[in-house]
Amino acid sequence: MVEALLDGLLRVLQPNALVYMLFGVFIGFWVGILPGLGGTVTLALMLPFVYGMEPVQAFAFLLGMHSVVATTGDLTSILFGIPGEGLSAALVLDGYAMTKKGEAGRALGANLMSSLVGALVGAAALAAAIPVVRPLVLSFGAPELFMLAVMGIAFIASLSGRGARGLARGAAAGALGLLVSSVGQDPQAGILRYTFGQLYLWGGIDIVPAVVGLFALPEILDLMVRRTSIAATAPTEKLTGVWEGVKDCFRHFGLTLRCSLIGAFIGIMPGLGGGVAQWMSYGHAVQSAKTAEERARFGKGDVRGVLGPGAANNSKEGGSLIPTVAFGVPGSSAMAVLLGGFFLTGLVPGPDMLTRHLSVTYSMVWTLVLANVVTVALCFPLLPYLARLTAIRATRLVPFLMLLVFLGAYTANNSWGDILVAVTFGILGYAMVRFGWPRAPLVLGLVLGDVAERYLWISVARYGWDWLGRPGVVVFLVLTLAVLLVPFFQEWRERRAGYVLGGAAHAD
Amino acid sequence: MARGVKLLATLLGLAVAGSAISGVALGQVSFAGKTVTVVVGNPPGGGYDRLGRVVARHLGRFLPGNPTVVVQNMPGAAGVVAANHLYHVARPDGLTLGLFNQNMVFGQLLGVEGLRADMRKWQWVGSVTRETDVFTIRADLPYRNVQELRRADPPLAIGATAPGSGSYDFPLVLKAFLKLNVRIVSGYPGRSDIMLAIERKELDGVAGSWSSMKPFAQRGLVRVLVKTPSENPELRDVPSDVDLVTEPTHKAVLQLHAVPNRIGRPFVLPPAVPADVVRAYREAFRRLAEDPTFRTEAERLGFEVVYTSGEQCLRIVEEVLNSPPGVVRIFKSFFRFGE
Repeated sequence: MVEALLDGLLRVLQPNALVYMLFGVFIGFWVGILPGLGGTVTLALMLPFVYGMEPVQAFAFLLGMHSVVATTGDLTSILFGIPGEGLSAALVLDGYAMTKKGEAGRALGANLMSSLVGALVGAAALAAAIPVVRPLVLSFGAPELFMLAVMGIAFIASLSGRGARGLARGAAAGALGLLVSSVGQDPQAGILRYTFGQLYLWGGIDIVPAVVGLFALPEILDLMVRRTSIAATAPTEKLTGVWEGVKDCFRHFGLTLRCSLIGAFIGIMPGLGGGVAQWMSYGHAVQSAKTAEERARFGKGDVRGVLGPGAANNSKEGGSLIPTVAFGVPGSSAMAVLLGGFFLTGLVPGPDMLTRHLSVTYSMVWTLVLANVVTVALCFPLLPYLARLTAIRATRLVPFLMLLVFLGAYTANNSWGDILVAVTFGILGYAMVRFGWPRAPLVLGLVLGDVAERYLWISVARYGWDWLGRPGVVVFLVLTLAVLLVPFFQEWRERRAGYVLGGAAHAD
Repeated sequence: MARGVKLLATLLGLAVAGSAISGVALGQVSFAGKTVTVVVGNPPGGGYDRLGRVVARHLGRFLPGNPTVVVQNMPGAAGVVAANHLYHVARPDGLTLGLFNQNMVFGQLLGVEGLRADMRKWQWVGSVTRETDVFTIRADLPYRNVQELRRADPPLAIGATAPGSGSYDFPLVLKAFLKLNVRIVSGYPGRSDIMLAIERKELDGVAGSWSSMKPFAQRGLVRVLVKTPSENPELRDVPSDVDLVTEPTHKAVLQLHAVPNRIGRPFVLPPAVPADVVRAYREAFRRLAEDPTFRTEAERLGFEVVYTSGEQCLRIVEEVLNSPPGVVRIFKSFFRFGE
């Protein structure tokens, strides 16, 4: 195995493969920054070029491109509050809040470093999982996937405001998200739910335009009203400070590591979707707050809210390769395109990849590692310049931001419906911000509702009541209860310890 | 790097050659300097998208004037969104070509709400692939044929995505006509999730197109028990559903179900496209299907390359829409319109 690991590295380091990888990184870099060109579409566009390449070269090219998109897609979330890849929205909450405080450089530095840590952990998880990948993936059936979704939904408790009122609002927002996720043709009887005779709604509300509208439009409106630059209220000398962000990553290294593992784990589970990893790790980051007072700082620019999702967003890529490589079943649409790359280069994904073609599989691990290191190295010198963008006057910036938002939304289905969804959710988002309702639970409900519904149905249809007794289900049930109870426990402990802990909170 | 340079050189060469020929040899119809868009009614990451892109990559060589051909994904409502767009919105100038759901003709037969296109009026260009649907079960199960599957105990759990998909409707009709002891568990997000569920023995079987099932059959995960009527040599030993049933109406219903497979995945032009442009496209597709470079590439992607002319496609469509009402009634009770 060690031989294969080294062989994989040597194969990626061959000049041909390395050049293809750098080329892929270059393309992915821009695709990630520019919304409107999704990673999946770009992979599909580039797929024909691998015809005739050696497998290692082809995957160096494709994976190099794909793994970068996740990193650079985060940049617009932090700088402008516009989720670059649609699914990097969790970063907006604290990342953009930091930008508004004038800490764009620090947020970008923290994000980039945590992205790198995440990518490395994801690659390591992929490498470590290869010998045990079959039993690992196969032990997760429909009931376990359902419970995983339920556990994700339980994070709403942490993502809501304080007190009974905050919790009620969080629960209501989450319920609204679940309700919106039920729009479209239902997967059991084929009934059209809440489609109002619109073909666009058959497939349900697309998450990308909804999330872009919900998060980006209220911020742009706010910017228009303020008529200043994004970071106007902040002292200008703090605009950079990239190194501070890098140090943050190591200050909270335990959290970054845990969120990387969460991302890798969720990446391995096919059918959960990319947004889940980010939001669950954000929820976990919020829970890492020791006191309720500390928790209240999340959403207002806590660097931990940048580290968690940033790490998970990259580590999930390593994880999501596992089902694709080992079973030939892609975990996401990007992976489905990548599967085409397997066929074009004459490789058959499946058990053979773990034995006969093991060194090719390891070359993919190395590609993830190298591509991310290269990207981070390329990005760092750019960050101070990027951070200065936040000092541009609103009147100049807003038209450009509007273009980014609507392009990003429109490319979901190339339909006017996407624009309407974005605007509708933009209005909703503005109202929620204005009246103090949390938006994160709504997204969590939207992202997980569909998964939860499908797997609950399948679990009952396939196993009757027996699914409740499966060991995995019991474990997740306990974890779910823990997730639900943590905020209450924190409040209780705080009330009991009072000022003693309050003073020690900053030691983290 | 050398390959990149070669590619660039080829492209340049093609462009030069193209501009030299156009307007001289081929009379009025020329796409020189133009861009042709293939509207694909599905998102990237699936069979239609893959086919659209491999065709787009090679089609330009066979059209007069060698235009650039690009793919635009327009997913929604099982291809109805793309079909409506092509029928009503796209300009009929021959620069927009459509590829969508092969079952679209069933949408018209079953009167699907929202479909605003008459299948008889498309300018059918033709199809370069053919599909066969297969019903498979996990290879480690003891059942070897349909007869044994009637006595399966406990009933086999067959995975499906949603009603209207081939994974749902095909097993449903086989269960009814062949009295198979199976039950359908629907709601999986995609075919890949079903394959994984089979791997972990949550499911016992699945139906799908042969091109998507082939890798799993070849590595011994599933065994093919039934196919739709097909001349594919790889499936020579598998009985077809039409041969397994005895009652004439059942045969007729199954034959109707297999019709879209006979067309394969057809490309169409909007109804008002001029006849000489349609002719140029039909000729291009005929030559495309014979082109060795295209064939190798498409076959590597899992497609069975077989040419069906536009005229044939139209004939088959009319045959479907003229089916006897009795057959349509039974058909309606099993099949919904979907992907």
